[in-house]
Amino acid sequence: MLFIFTKSIITKSSEITENQQGNTNIFGDGHRESLPNATAVLVLGIISIATCWCYGVIGTACGIIALVLARKDFSRYHLEPLRYSVSSYNNLKAGRICAIIGTILSALYLVIIIVAIAVIGVAGLSHPDQMFRHYQSY
Amino acid sequence: MGLITFLQQHMLPCPAKALLHIECPGCGMQRSLICLLQGDVSKSLHYHPATIPMLLLIGFLPFHLKYKFTKGGNIIVFLQLVVAIITVAFYIYKVYNHKIF
Repeated sequence: MLFIFTKSIITKSSEITENQQGNTNIFGDGHRESLPNATAVLVLGIISIATCWCYGVIGTACGIIALVLARKDFSRYHLEPLRYSVSSYNNLKAGRICAIIGTILSALYLVIIIVAIAVIGVAGLSHPDQMFRHYQSY
Repeated sequence: MGLITFLQQHMLPCPAKALLHIECPGCGMQRSLICLLQGDVSKSLHYHPATIPMLLLIGFLPFHLKYKFTKGGNIIVFLQLVVAIITVAFYIYKVYNHKIF
């Protein structure tokens, strides 16, 4: 009786270890490694929208870096989907969307700044009162 | 109170405001943060309405990276969208009402 009981425990534990090696264990995805750039993509995507105050240059740079890193990691994940954890893949997807939003906004603001300098000029922008008087005279 | 007075005396000037005399989409966020630290939520919303979701986003990020919530990525994307939409809408409002100079 005791022998059968211990045997069943041994077989159960051996099944679990087999499952762990096959990456389909009952403990979630704790044994899979996380994607190398998922955290970086998420952080850079959020930085790209938080730094809208510097002419959009920092935001555009961070967003583009995040998009390039995300693209690399997507190809890495699609080669071996079972090797990497699902939570890091979700982080990567969220970070990519954040980076897209931040890049679009920062690039738009950069274009607005460039258009303002091209149309009005730095001289007009640094003396707005005189510029307004100039335009009101027409 | 020491932190608030320190922040009030050491405000970073906006480079776009200093050089081009045009306010950027993030202008008003420091004043808004100081008002929020003083407990004046309505004044904080008046200076920049996107400060509170931005603080939530930046504060939620380390917790998500530490504890790995299952729906954490969706929450971050939602907060990012909220911040982006409020910032754009507030900048359009400022341009339309001639408040950017």
